[in-house]
Amino acid sequence: MTGFVIRRLLWTIPVILLVIFFTFVLMRQIEGNPFRTSERAVPESIQRNLERRFGLDQPWYVQYAKYVQGVFTFDLGPSLVLRNRDVNEIVRTHFPPSLQLGAFAMIFALVFGIPLGMLSALRANTFLDYSAMFVSNVGFAIPSFLISTLLIYFFALKWGDWTGLPTSGWDSWQSKILPTIALGLGPMAYFARLVRGTMLETLQQDYIRTARAKGLRWRRVVIVHTLRNSLIPVVTAAGPILGFLITGSFIVEQIFAIPGIGTYYVDAVEARDYSVVMGLTVLLSVIVILANMVVDILYGYLDPRTRDARS
Amino acid sequence: MKKRSKTVLLLGAALALSVFLTACAGGDDDGGQAADGVITVNWGTEPPSLDPGLATDTTSSSILLNLMDPLVILGPDLEPQPSLAESWETSQDGKTVTFNLRPDGKWTNGDPVTANDFEYSWKRTISPELAADYAYQFFGIVGASDYNSCEKNCDAMKDKVGVHATNDRTLEVELTSAQPWFVQQVAHTSFLPVNQKTVEQFGERWTEASNIVTNGPFELARWDHNSRIDLVKSPDWRGADEIQLERVNGRMISEGTTAVQAFEADEVDATVGGLPPEEMSRLKALPEYAQYPSLGTYYYGVNVENVPDVNQRRAMALAIDRRSIIDNVAQADQLPATGFTPDGMPGFDQINPNSEYLPETADVERAQELMNQVSNPAKDVTLVINDAPGHREIAVAVQDMWSELGINVEIQQQEWAQFLESIGPPPGKDIDTFRLGWIADYVDAMNFLELWTCDSGNNSTNYCDPQYDQLVDEARATPDNAERYDLYGQMEEKLFGPDGAMPVLPIYWYTFTQLENKSIYDTFGINQLGQIDLRDVVEGDTGGDENV
Repeated sequence: MTGFVIRRLLWTIPVILLVIFFTFVLMRQIEGNPFRTSERAVPESIQRNLERRFGLDQPWYVQYAKYVQGVFTFDLGPSLVLRNRDVNEIVRTHFPPSLQLGAFAMIFALVFGIPLGMLSALRANTFLDYSAMFVSNVGFAIPSFLISTLLIYFFALKWGDWTGLPTSGWDSWQSKILPTIALGLGPMAYFARLVRGTMLETLQQDYIRTARAKGLRWRRVVIVHTLRNSLIPVVTAAGPILGFLITGSFIVEQIFAIPGIGTYYVDAVEARDYSVVMGLTVLLSVIVILANMVVDILYGYLDPRTRDARS
Repeated sequence: MKKRSKTVLLLGAALALSVFLTACAGGDDDGGQAADGVITVNWGTEPPSLDPGLATDTTSSSILLNLMDPLVILGPDLEPQPSLAESWETSQDGKTVTFNLRPDGKWTNGDPVTANDFEYSWKRTISPELAADYAYQFFGIVGASDYNSCEKNCDAMKDKVGVHATNDRTLEVELTSAQPWFVQQVAHTSFLPVNQKTVEQFGERWTEASNIVTNGPFELARWDHNSRIDLVKSPDWRGADEIQLERVNGRMISEGTTAVQAFEADEVDATVGGLPPEEMSRLKALPEYAQYPSLGTYYYGVNVENVPDVNQRRAMALAIDRRSIIDNVAQADQLPATGFTPDGMPGFDQINPNSEYLPETADVERAQELMNQVSNPAKDVTLVINDAPGHREIAVAVQDMWSELGINVEIQQQEWAQFLESIGPPPGKDIDTFRLGWIADYVDAMNFLELWTCDSGNNSTNYCDPQYDQLVDEARATPDNAERYDLYGQMEEKLFGPDGAMPVLPIYWYTFTQLENKSIYDTFGINQLGQIDLRDVVEGDTGGDENV
């Protein structure tokens, strides 16, 4: 197991190098002047000063080498656009809210999605099943920006006096409820469907018939034998979904005015803030890689067949 | 079996219910219900920098002008009034301005504010090391431009800059030429002082709430980036007794719809930074809606190399129904533009050409007449716009208006940085028309009219008229206001008069729109440069009623 983990960790290095390379090339390809923020053109002398200050007057390979060095020494440099801040500080301050939001959304999706899927499978083709699947389809189909706005409108504005929920922000625990739901609804629907499908299939399996024939209690059959096997696709999906939840929550963060990393990421690309884009891309790639690695490890526990295949 | 699944069902329901119940138990954390002397303002965005040398946007500018004490402030008619400078003198030739500082200016760390602070700060902003975007604001000062572009031996250049603290209370400024608007320009945030000790001690982190040292009516109590920024009244401020507000909590909700919802949920007392265009018709009917004039022009620029016939440009200007765009699309009671310099600029009556080619409603007949005179009209025209809200709708309206002249418009919407690359200057070869705006940096029409000189870095039209440039140079050397406004009038005639070249088609002059709680409605305001003075804000009595 340790060998497995170490090997995976070592593999991240070439992946990160590739990420840095592609980010560097792509950001330079899309043109745009990081120092021109408004319609006012930047006078030449000032443009030169800025380029000199941030090392953009160096040849491209020197700039590239500096980025690589920065990433591996964890010094991601100053922001080109936010003049009093550096990327390390931006990550330190704004990554935790995004991480929290992503984690809460994930917990929400699992806590509500798995039981919903189970219920639907156990009560397949009944009214309960149909309504559960309808709700989950709706949650999946409606885009997050619409759900966010609707949640704010109803639960924070119209019925705000009863619910006590604020429209935006990320300070009080009440403010974390609506964004979690908005972000977690889609994955919840996804998990519900996955669990339902896999459980229905598993319930048809011979070993379930055997278990029931043996006289085991139905609850034990469901939870111990069926559920564990049904969770495998959930775990497989959970890794990238967790990565997505942490990195892709920009829209929800924007609408709920959550000071997370998503806003900074999108703003940095638009503003051509090269150091922030580079730093955040690398960070988010590492997260996705780690999430996938955790999934693979969990996989080993859940499915002994893969464990054997590995050793 | 049924019992088991019922358990699961009950468990799930209990979980859901518990979450909801705990939510019901809570009240809101820091409500915007105006408590005595405490209000909450949504600034709309995080200020990119609170370093006066680096701040370039209106949010930073607004907050800085409440944290700091400038030499002069702009009065209601945008005339300069004494603030930290109790008086000033301009020499006969207009090239030397001397500011006399008050003795009681104080930094929050106890240091007195001296003229040295200003010399240090201005030279710091001009310095090549700081690489300040707004260093160009100082280029009217002797030696500033040279110092800013210097590459070596910069210390020698620094000493040559025409800013000198002759003693603790006297600041002498030497200008390259007479600039009658200079004193007004000094009200801009770039000219604010910074505390040298603090900057040297904390470097780039000196503006954090724990480090920052200021000298104005309010202090920075708290700054959680992209989340909240809170100001408290400074107890040491000389005018503290006249300021009613004790604390101004700030939010940064950039999403327009959420900002309006936060206002309607009583979480903020005012939301600035623009309102969502699609809600304008509903919001305008609210008693909390407030609208203010702004010194800014929204215009369409024309690449005169691609649309060379001036009659076509005139026709295109005539075909635009400005009133319709303002009433049906933009919907913030903007003013239809009759020239480039906006209404509200000093000297407007002398400057404005009241152009026959810029009617309030369209004059399609006249436009078609002029089009018929064009021998080789550009029938397929590209219109480049950026992707911020509202521009597409206006472009579609104009596309329709120009189709009546037989012109086919292709609208290209581009992302901001891409858009700026397209228009340059010089504009891309395939750019025929583009949308742009210009907001005043300082209060003089020169700021608007110098854009159209041949080598202006903001002229994306390829328009170049040496006679126009001559007028600009002449105006720069004319200290007398009336004479200068006359020259401005001539420049506007050159652009929009009966023989005008029409390189740009002004559409409207901007307004600021915001929502303000009834309790502060009468005193909370924004001036034409987008600055909010919190010293004047007084909370009236709402009787505790809600605004929803």
